[in-house]
Amino acid sequence: MSADHAMSKPSQTGQHTGQHAGSHTEQQHGLSEKGLKAGSVGLIGAVVIGISCIAPAYTLTAALGPTVAEVGVQLPAIFLVGFVPMLLVAFGYRELNNAMPDAGTSFTWASRAFGPWIGWMGGWGLIAATIIVLSNLAAVAVDFFYLMLAQIFGNPELADLTTNLPLNIATTLVFIALACWISYRGMETTKTVQYVLVGFQLLVLAWFSISAFSHVANGTAFDATAISPDWFNPFAVGSFSAFAAGVSLSIFIYWGWDVTLTMNEETKNPEKTPGRAATITVLVIVIIYMTVALATLSYAGVGDTGLGAGNPENQGSIFAVLAGPVMGPFAILMSLAILSSSAASLQSTFVSPARTLLSMGHYRALPQKFGRISPTYKSPSYATIASAVAAAAFYVITRTTSENALWDTITALGMMICFYYGITALACVWFFRAEAFSGARAFFFKFLAPLLGGVILLVMFVKTAYDSMDPAYGSGSSIGGVGLVFILGMGVILLGVVLMLVMAKLRPEFFRGQVLTRGH
Amino acid sequence: MRYVVGYSANARGHDAVNLAVSLALGRGASLDLVLVVPEVQQSGHALAPKAGFENLLTEQAQEWLDQALALVPSSVPAQAHIRSHDSDAHALIEAAEELGADMLIIGATSTGLFKRFTIGSVASALLHASTVPVALAPHGYHRQEALTRISCGLGTRAGAEKLLEFALGMAANRDVPLRVVSLLALDGDAADSADAAREYAAKCLADALAAGGPADPGEAKAEVPGEAKTEAQVEAKTEIVVAHGRSIEEAVDRLDWEDGEVLLIGSSRLAKGRSIFLGSTAGRILRALPVPMIVVPSDYELKHLNHSASSDTPREAQQ
Repeated sequence: MSADHAMSKPSQTGQHTGQHAGSHTEQQHGLSEKGLKAGSVGLIGAVVIGISCIAPAYTLTAALGPTVAEVGVQLPAIFLVGFVPMLLVAFGYRELNNAMPDAGTSFTWASRAFGPWIGWMGGWGLIAATIIVLSNLAAVAVDFFYLMLAQIFGNPELADLTTNLPLNIATTLVFIALACWISYRGMETTKTVQYVLVGFQLLVLAWFSISAFSHVANGTAFDATAISPDWFNPFAVGSFSAFAAGVSLSIFIYWGWDVTLTMNEETKNPEKTPGRAATITVLVIVIIYMTVALATLSYAGVGDTGLGAGNPENQGSIFAVLAGPVMGPFAILMSLAILSSSAASLQSTFVSPARTLLSMGHYRALPQKFGRISPTYKSPSYATIASAVAAAAFYVITRTTSENALWDTITALGMMICFYYGITALACVWFFRAEAFSGARAFFFKFLAPLLGGVILLVMFVKTAYDSMDPAYGSGSSIGGVGLVFILGMGVILLGVVLMLVMAKLRPEFFRGQVLTRGH
Repeated sequence: MRYVVGYSANARGHDAVNLAVSLALGRGASLDLVLVVPEVQQSGHALAPKAGFENLLTEQAQEWLDQALALVPSSVPAQAHIRSHDSDAHALIEAAEELGADMLIIGATSTGLFKRFTIGSVASALLHASTVPVALAPHGYHRQEALTRISCGLGTRAGAEKLLEFALGMAANRDVPLRVVSLLALDGDAADSADAAREYAAKCLADALAAGGPADPGEAKAEVPGEAKTEAQVEAKTEIVVAHGRSIEEAVDRLDWEDGEVLLIGSSRLAKGRSIFLGSTAGRILRALPVPMIVVPSDYELKHLNHSASSDTPREAQQ
């Protein structure tokens, strides 16, 4: 090799320091080599990213029914309470992300704090949660796809096609495959599309609420129910079981919000923008959730017949049932909003498990092929396809064993999020334990908040897991006298343990702590 | 001289590197291998931070570029660069402008089963926006020796002189023969049209020789000091060929092509300013062509080439 062949390191570093001004990478942790590009996202942009990560139209249609089933009219209270642990954990997330920006997130952080075994399970929890949400997103998209076809052609029979099991599974797999292909090709939703999707979702949700309230005012509501202050009282929830289940579901509706808090360097004003964006995002989200929750309860009540929000038939996807009666011919807008937001979210969410798997492959916690990056598209190639296969398999299993797959997947998902968020929050506490008492700020953000959040979530996880053994839990599906939600949730975690043990046998370096070292 | 090579760690990238080496060898040019990585976003429900993925991507990109540099023989100086941009084409054009490159070299996509060239999205974007000549390596191009002949595709439109000047300069610099090619798609009376085309080509060539030949001290003399070429010498190594077939593709097929040959072609008149726009005829030629093709922007100034050639003389002297 001639001396002329030199990597242009100087010009490259020059380019990076020029472009990535304001980045402060933490070399001492040995994880980050390079900062982010500064100054490309403004406040509104960050809020839009936050809202689009949450995908409120999708989360509401998926979570509103199951939450009502648990806590009834205390839905608004639980939606508000659910934000507290999310906020506490997000503080911990922010600290970890600042100290160790890494594609493996929970996996890397928990490995650094607690060592390879807990780290592996933390990563597995994250992957499992994202795989489950992928299958749910695809399923919701398919429901609204057929509903929209029915609305377009004025033929209600088309909407029923989604209940045809083989057709439903086939369509869902096609949706997953398409989203995987787009993600594999490294294509991402452009800013403009994101703005339009977010604006459209908020508009349609507001429209739905106003229509519902005007039905109530005109006396044309299905089961007009007067709003009572009691709805906002979390202590009015019947039992701790219901409370725990409700909270783990409401964690899901805020899932994605923490992204705004961690967008430091790419915002125009890294000091202020992420905090402000996170605050505005959560205000917008809480307002829209409260409005829609109140509108739904006032219009439909929590009765378990007809359009009632407590009707098990309506739990899987509440807007699929209510949009028609509430919005009349404009219900097609709701279908379009949910279809577009869940499809966009389906594609963008592929990034999460793919990057975590890539990182695990890179750190030799998984076979090397998971660490492959496509030379042509520069995306995690093997990891993306593996995620799609897993999401497809999860959907097929759930769909064929559950009476109400959407409902049960969302409940299992809430459980899984509590699991990996809990581990991650405690990882934050343990990782920063030496700095915890170095000042008021460190004490709150690196110790108290993540500790409280982590403990709350792990308690919710254990309680929900215990309760879900009851065959009547969730949609009431069960296998061998054990609730399906328990089997799904615990099955996935157990599968993780088995795979971890196999990996420890095959590639022991990581599990001996030789790849990712503990502590600072 | 500097050539920017759009590299990716696949067959297409290898084709591009091979062609770049071929082009550089006869000219003492240095190569800048540019690998474009996408700008990473974080999106979706679960946090997937940019920074972490960017690190892995950069690490991988360095590894790919090291492998790419190993493909370049030691006689050709080469450097590697990582650029981060959402659009590969955009990043390559930017790099070419920033590095003062004289040519952009990329591989055509490798998915064309029956056609020799299929323009990928990157190539196609480049061919619509580049301000420097773009060289396209056909699928499976593996040659790493200097060029043996240069062909210049001549249309009947205005602006041919500029292209011919460029071609003459290129041939003279590399000391290889120039073949002026006129491709005709004809049905009936071939002879007349062929004669007209040959006449036109000869006229253009004469004009170009007068303008860019010995009258201009830049190209020829700067490159081969002490051995100034006369018009006659240059002309002697120049031939004019008229090829016709029922279609452009057939005309291309009927010509003989040397392994070490490239075809120069001008950008369409539709191009804006000094950028490239591949006309429909050029597009059809490309599909049938077995050798690399270099597309030159419509009024690409030869002076630009002379300028960088002379400024690069010290580097050539080093060798």
